[in-house]
Amino acid sequence: MIISPELFQQIIFYVFATFTIGSAMAVVTVKNTIYSALFLVLCFFNTAVLWLLIEAEFLAITLVLVYVGAVMVLFLFVVMMLDVKQAKASQLKQSYTKAALLIAAAMLVQLLILFAYKLSGEIPSNELVRQEQGYSNVAEVGMTLFTQYVYPFEIAAVILLVAIVAAIMLTMRKREGNKQMDASKQININPAERLRVVSMKAEKATTQAQSKEEES
Amino acid sequence: MFGWSELVPAFPEILVLSMACVVLLVGLFTDKKKGGFIVFLSVITMMFAAILTLKDHVAGVEFTKTVIFNGTFIRDEFGDMLKVVVYLLMISVFFYAKQYLRQHDNLQGEYFALLLFATLGIMVMISGHNFIALYLGLELLALSSYALVAYNRNDLNGNEAAMKYFILGALASGMLLYGMSLIYGAVGTLQINEISQAIAGQNNDMFLVLGLIFVIVGIGFKLGAAPFHMWVPDVYEGAPTATTLFIASAPKIAAFALAVRILGQSLDVLMIHWQSMLATLAIVSIIVGNLFALQQTNLKRLFAYSTISHIGFMLLGLVGGAEGIAASMFYIIVYTIMAVGGFGMIVLLSNKGMEADQIADFKGLNQRSGWYAFLMLLLVASMAGFPPLIGFFSKLYVLKAVIDQGHIILAAVAVIFAVIGAFYYLKIIKVMYFEESETDQAIDASFDVKTVLSINALAQLGLLVLLPVLFQYCIRVTGSL
Amino acid sequence: MDMKTTLMIIAFAPLVAAAIAGLFGRQVGRIGAHTITIGAVGLSCVLSVRVLLQFINGEATPFNENLYTWMVTGDLSMHVGFMVDSLTAIMMTVVTFVSLMVHIYTIGYMSEDPGYQRFFSYISLFTFAMLMLVMANNFMQLFFGWEAVGLVSYLLIGFWYKKETAIFANMKAFLVNRVGDFGFLLGIGAVLMTFGTLDYVEVFNQAPQMADKTITIIGDNQWSMMTVICICLFIGAMGKSAQAPLHVWLPDSMEGPTPISALIHAATMVTAGIFMVSRMSPLFEMSDTALSFVMLIGAFTAFFMGLIGIVQNDIKRVIAYSTLSQLGYMTVALGVSAYSAAIFHLMTHAFFKALLFLGAGSVIIAMHHKQDMQEMGGLKKYMPITFITAWVGTLALVGFPGLSGYFSKDAIIVATGLSDRWGSDVAYIAVLLGVFVTSLYSFRLLYLTFHGKERMDHHTKEHLHESPWVVTLPLVLLAIPSIFIGWMTIEPLLFGGFMNDAIVVNPTNDVVKEIGLYHFDTTAGFALHGFVTLPFYLMLAGFAVATYIYMKNRALASTIKKQLAPIHRVLENKYGFDAFNQKFIAGGSVKLGEALWKWSDSKLIDGWIVNGSAKLINKVSVGIRSIQSGYVFHYALVMVVSVIVFIGIYVFK
Repeated sequence: MIISPELFQQIIFYVFATFTIGSAMAVVTVKNTIYSALFLVLCFFNTAVLWLLIEAEFLAITLVLVYVGAVMVLFLFVVMMLDVKQAKASQLKQSYTKAALLIAAAMLVQLLILFAYKLSGEIPSNELVRQEQGYSNVAEVGMTLFTQYVYPFEIAAVILLVAIVAAIMLTMRKREGNKQMDASKQININPAERLRVVSMKAEKATTQAQSKEEES
Repeated sequence: MFGWSELVPAFPEILVLSMACVVLLVGLFTDKKKGGFIVFLSVITMMFAAILTLKDHVAGVEFTKTVIFNGTFIRDEFGDMLKVVVYLLMISVFFYAKQYLRQHDNLQGEYFALLLFATLGIMVMISGHNFIALYLGLELLALSSYALVAYNRNDLNGNEAAMKYFILGALASGMLLYGMSLIYGAVGTLQINEISQAIAGQNNDMFLVLGLIFVIVGIGFKLGAAPFHMWVPDVYEGAPTATTLFIASAPKIAAFALAVRILGQSLDVLMIHWQSMLATLAIVSIIVGNLFALQQTNLKRLFAYSTISHIGFMLLGLVGGAEGIAASMFYIIVYTIMAVGGFGMIVLLSNKGMEADQIADFKGLNQRSGWYAFLMLLLVASMAGFPPLIGFFSKLYVLKAVIDQGHIILAAVAVIFAVIGAFYYLKIIKVMYFEESETDQAIDASFDVKTVLSINALAQLGLLVLLPVLFQYCIRVTGSL
Repeated sequence: MDMKTTLMIIAFAPLVAAAIAGLFGRQVGRIGAHTITIGAVGLSCVLSVRVLLQFINGEATPFNENLYTWMVTGDLSMHVGFMVDSLTAIMMTVVTFVSLMVHIYTIGYMSEDPGYQRFFSYISLFTFAMLMLVMANNFMQLFFGWEAVGLVSYLLIGFWYKKETAIFANMKAFLVNRVGDFGFLLGIGAVLMTFGTLDYVEVFNQAPQMADKTITIIGDNQWSMMTVICICLFIGAMGKSAQAPLHVWLPDSMEGPTPISALIHAATMVTAGIFMVSRMSPLFEMSDTALSFVMLIGAFTAFFMGLIGIVQNDIKRVIAYSTLSQLGYMTVALGVSAYSAAIFHLMTHAFFKALLFLGAGSVIIAMHHKQDMQEMGGLKKYMPITFITAWVGTLALVGFPGLSGYFSKDAIIVATGLSDRWGSDVAYIAVLLGVFVTSLYSFRLLYLTFHGKERMDHHTKEHLHESPWVVTLPLVLLAIPSIFIGWMTIEPLLFGGFMNDAIVVNPTNDVVKEIGLYHFDTTAGFALHGFVTLPFYLMLAGFAVATYIYMKNRALASTIKKQLAPIHRVLENKYGFDAFNQKFIAGGSVKLGEALWKWSDSKLIDGWIVNGSAKLINKVSVGIRSIQSGYVFHYALVMVVSVIVFIGIYVFK
């Protein structure tokens, strides 16, 4: 049996799509935070593969580099540092879980019906344009980002700035009893202010002997 | 390539962004108990932005729309009018914030920088001409708002409120984005005007309607319309009053602009759908807002529910056709002025360690200061819509537009619940004038804050003079969309 | 500076000053407050005089322009606009001049009052409102000014809000004026119904075509539309210009500070009704019935209110009743179509009555705020300037030939005599006898206050001295026009056709022209002629009686009082107007209100409709409150469920 390239692509797509959804569900269902984070990493990887399928190599690589390489590592780091307790099953009331499932099911059914019946054949499905060899994905993303979408791009930059400012503002604040070190103060300290050389008279040995006697 | 001249329409945005960074830096060198210079910088920024925005609107010169940044940014009369209102609102927000933060010895540059960033977000939303730009503006505003709510780090209520706001906001953003992507999927473009052309003639496309629903959820959340209002009371109550004051005012204008840009401009073909959805939101909001408000003893919470009902009224206007949109615009402008004044009064009466956010804190205000009681009376009566205050006319215009469109039942329900709503406003007035004060503490505020508050409240009367002019402007700018 | 700018400055400068003094009173301080307000009113005054001079020299043409369209609903558009012609120019000058004098005077009079800035803010605001009233070019703005001056008047009557009597007077003025304003509003409504517009010029142009229009009010009787409109409008004027029986508030309004009595309750606001009727002369000329009504009301007020003045002991109340009586004269003049004479008397009266009031105020300052004339006497040696100016004012008031009051009052009396309107004979007798009465109470006031024995207590006597210059300067400045203004202006104003652009008189009714033709040669001649007419002798008689009783034989006063006890009692009780109002109108409404309150309000509306529904709503809102639990996942759940419901409704419908 010969597998045609199209079929092969489809198989790949469905395998990885299933993995994506499965790992995404695992992220929210597993109780261990570490596992949860690792499933998220898996989810990202699978998504990256899906992007590769539509020849968005640059985005796929970026996703792995940025999200998996930086964000998730940081995330894991924080989770482990903070020693987050595992969520106990009893904390979530069963009734809520059931209600949530019910609602999710309702929504799913709605969407399925919608896509199956109401929308048959109306979705505009442009064929994916296959590019020539040597076509630079990076250059194209760059061009689009810095010409057509330069304004949203700048705004996104401002959002990041705000995120930084907000994060710093909310965390870097002096608290009562905070034992933070101030490097400049440590360096600028003058030994003369801290240490006092006290010259004392040498004590006589007899007194020590006396005290020992008293103890005994 | 861009030429400098192409940036001219975006000068106000550029100014606000630059000044936000400047304020951020200046804030580092400012004492927590002072910070007058920061406020000065912020206010000046708004004034210059207003000049930049208004300078092309001198009489006798034809104003034309400009679209720049490859169609992602539009400058038109509608946007400019809303922006000017936002500047004015922000100026008063800055003064009240100064008063509030000084009371708590916690005046930092970041607060004002974040306010300026939020203002930038609002401006981006007002002049967004592309779904991505609109969405990013929204996020910029939202992110700044979350941080502003959590500003008092040691305040548990504030943190809780920020957390709720953040989670629900993320949910709503997700839905909005989902709706936008559905619409993008259907039409293949994100440009406001192109969407409008692309969907012309296919108004029964359920795919678009599904997208529309999610978009409306996002807008409804931002506006705080029921049933997407649940965050409003908790956040209003938990946030520092200065932040509440901000959230209650300028962002509503941005959300209104968002609604007009997305619904009125790009999805105009689907009007028949979104009108009925908005009518539902409007009526539910008016009912929920007024009924819940009756039970409140906390003034911030009460104002939160009253906001919901006011938003309902505003949405009702959007159902009322072309004139209705103008009426809505007028309504939201008037409402934000009232809201800023109302919360400003809470700020004024608060002092270190005590937030005057209970209705009981207003007991006997008339004995403590007749002038402030009078100002509060004006604000509250205007919110309730007592004639001849401006709040009455804004309701009147909305109802007129709705009735002209033949939605008499909607108008009737709105009026009935507005009357029910009058009850809790009257309660405040009763408490101020007919009950004994529990404290005789002097009301201590700096001159500028008092002046701003007085202007704010007297505007409820003073705007009557400008009433027709303002409304004519609303009609004109919404007509020119 | 063009006309429009000038007029805007005249009208709005006092408003700006009032806003500054009122809102930033504490910041600008006392000196700041009075400097700003006096500066603004002074500016208005100077510009008003300039406008008036332009009209006198014939350089200006009547100005009529809408400045701002406030609202357009259907066919009705409401504007803010100015109509300035000779009539308005005179009013503007009078208002701003008297107001300026009162402003200056107030510095001295209110110097120790804690509400100093507030007071200045009010009187500036009043000036603005009054200017809006006189400068209006449409009924809407007229009504705005009308109500605004009323508002400030109530605020000022009740200025000393801790004084019981002031509060009572305040409420009384408010309620009585409501009656008048109701009529006024009906009149404006009738104008709108008949003419379809509120613009003066349009209304006046259409008026001749509407003369025969009728209206059915009750039953099948046809009423002339013009008569209905004019009487309704005049009821408004009766309220504001205190004509019987709506005069009861004016004497009580003397509870306010004296500068207010001078400015509002003598010189300007109370003449608004006179001004309004003159302004509406094209309408009033259409209805002889309405004019007869006006005339008889005026005649009644002129004579009978003067009589009450004779028995009053409060110095301000005497002048208040004198004001009522003089307003009656003006109303009579309106009634006989001598509008220009009414305006002329309005102007002269504004000067000499303001002078008398401010003089009384000066006396009151010296007496430490005691107002009873029985405790005064012999003040002339302590307060020479006040004394002399008071004499000037009194002579002008009683109509001594040559002084301003003589010209205006005599013109009215002659005009009434010449008129052949129904009832003018009665009116003529009333105004003639009124001269005697005026003279009697005026000289009585002078004698009791300035002459004779010093009856005040020892403590007061020690501190008697002339008032400071800020008080006496306005007196002197007002005394000058009180003497000369009549002489200077009678000829152009009455006979020179100065107000022809503003006032319309049917040729058959034009009594003023008749005076000009047959009774008036030159001003000096007219003045000399005054020494041989009946009114002069009546005035002398009044003088003689007053002199005899109060200078020579004081015992006679009490003898007469005993002899004529019933009449005296009637006068003391002010003909029972107050008692009647108090008992039947006020008492009746209170009883009716109580009955309504008990039955319909508290049982039906409160018990069932209001409380019942409030309880229901409360229950509902308590019930649904549990949704707002505070848990974030509840909130998220509500959102998501809502989305599902929305999709269900709108996609699968």
